Amino acid sequence: MGISLLSGVFKSTDKIQVVDAILLALIGVVIVFVILALIMLIVSIVGKAFDKSEVLKEKHPEWGEKLAAAKSKMMFWKKLKKDAEEAEVAAQSAPVAAGTCGELKLINTDERDAAMIMAIVADTTGTPLNELRFKSIKRVEEEK
Amino acid sequence: MNVGEILKNLGESTGFMGFGGADGWKALIMIILALFFLWLGIKKKFEPLLLVGIAFGMLLTNLPGGGLYHAEWWTGADAVANGVNYGYILQHGGLLDILYIGVKTGVYPCLIFIGVGAMTDFGPMLSRPSSMIMGAAAQGGIYLVLILAVATGMYSGGEAASISIIAGADGPTAIFLTKTLAPELLAPIAVAAYSYMALIPLLQPPFMKLLTTKKERMTVMTTTRKVSKKEKIIFPILVTIIVSLLLPSVAPLLGSLMFGNLLKECGVTERLSDTAQNALMNIVTLFLGISVGATAIGATFLSAKTIVIVVLGLAGFILATICGLLIGKIMYVLSKGKINPLIGSAGVSAVPMAARVSNTVGLQYNKGNYLLMHAMGPNVAGVIGSAVAAGFLLAVFA
Repeated sequence: MGISLLSGVFKSTDKIQVVDAILLALIGVVIVFVILALIMLIVSIVGKAFDKSEVLKEKHPEWGEKLAAAKSKMMFWKKLKKDAEEAEVAAQSAPVAAGTCGELKLINTDERDAAMIMAIVADTTGTPLNELRFKSIKRVEEEK
Repeated sequence: MNVGEILKNLGESTGFMGFGGADGWKALIMIILALFFLWLGIKKKFEPLLLVGIAFGMLLTNLPGGGLYHAEWWTGADAVANGVNYGYILQHGGLLDILYIGVKTGVYPCLIFIGVGAMTDFGPMLSRPSSMIMGAAAQGGIYLVLILAVATGMYSGGEAASISIIAGADGPTAIFLTKTLAPELLAPIAVAAYSYMALIPLLQPPFMKLLTTKKERMTVMTTTRKVSKKEKIIFPILVTIIVSLLLPSVAPLLGSLMFGNLLKECGVTERLSDTAQNALMNIVTLFLGISVGATAIGATFLSAKTIVIVVLGLAGFILATICGLLIGKIMYVLSKGKINPLIGSAGVSAVPMAARVSNTVGLQYNKGNYLLMHAMGPNVAGVIGSAVAAGFLLAVFA
């Protein structure tokens, strides 16, 4: 880089000539202008890019809607996956219901409600209770 | 037990006896000067947050026998030849020696820049990128003073560079450069930089009026585009990468400034931003002021060099203002009268004082013409510009 070429040219304790000072001043001014002009250029480009994206959004509102829909769809699937994972973890860690063959798991459900649910299912389907196999019963929270 | 001898020893150990030494009278003058600076800071409110600390440090260091600060450990022949012995200073140093480590290592100016960054809104500059040219132009004052300082024949290259940075109107940058290139001049340069920054409302208006026409001063500037949050977040990251790659020596100062700004703009670090703006800034200002003041030892401070530094510093502020105004006038012409040249003087980086001065002078000629936000563009660009100029001088002389 240009700057590294200047390194070591002078020591801080060296006395320098006015001509050197003028030369340094000229280089210094050019460097300050070039760097700030470069920042200016980048800022202008970034600004224009943002303005353009805003204009495009206004011109094609359907793009925005599609993007939002895609985002919400993604969020939905993510949430569904997370819920399923949570349910699986909860099912694995839930205690086994008393009196069962050892498979029914009750999640946020007491035994009385579970017995009622199993009886209702048996009655509704017309299947004897000993022929039904329940794996787990989970209370589903109502959405508010 | 000889009571007389005890009293004699006690008398000889008091600081009063120290005034009878070789440089005793200089210490006395420095104490009077410290009291004057305290009066300026407290009564006249000249940059009180720093000047009061600097003045008190000056007072403490010149009271004989206190042992709070040892200049020879920092700038003596042994320190210059073999480097500063930090281990020894930590073991045997006084309070101000310990605090001065933060100045010598460049930690305080960088921490101050984190606070400055957290308080700075780059929005006005981003909304009108051309204002950066005015910020760059005002740095012309730095280089003109460099030539003048060298022309006096009194200073080495490093000393001249350190004096020239006063024209950048940026205290932390001046301290950062001087502690490396001319530590023996730290006190007069810091005092000059902060004193002139406080005097900006008095120094700039006469030149603003002299160099602009009434028509130019009355120019009403239109509102600029709205800058999005994303742009404000991207800006500090981009600037740090680009400028630090181009001019690595500027990375500590500019990186700190941009880091502080990112804390402010990213929206997820409010607590850190708040700390940087308030608690951290206040603590570092306190340490910086008192330890910089401690370097003002009579033997080195009371010299012709100091007087010339004061004169060159004044010239630097004036030249920087003129450079900014001249570019402002050029931009007035190029923009066909849409840019008020008064905002050019805000290119000197004293934030936000220089921008306020542009606003005040503008209002004097056109009531309702508020230039403050327009002037903030060149003003914050000046901070970047002076850091770049300091980085260049460091690269050349360090």
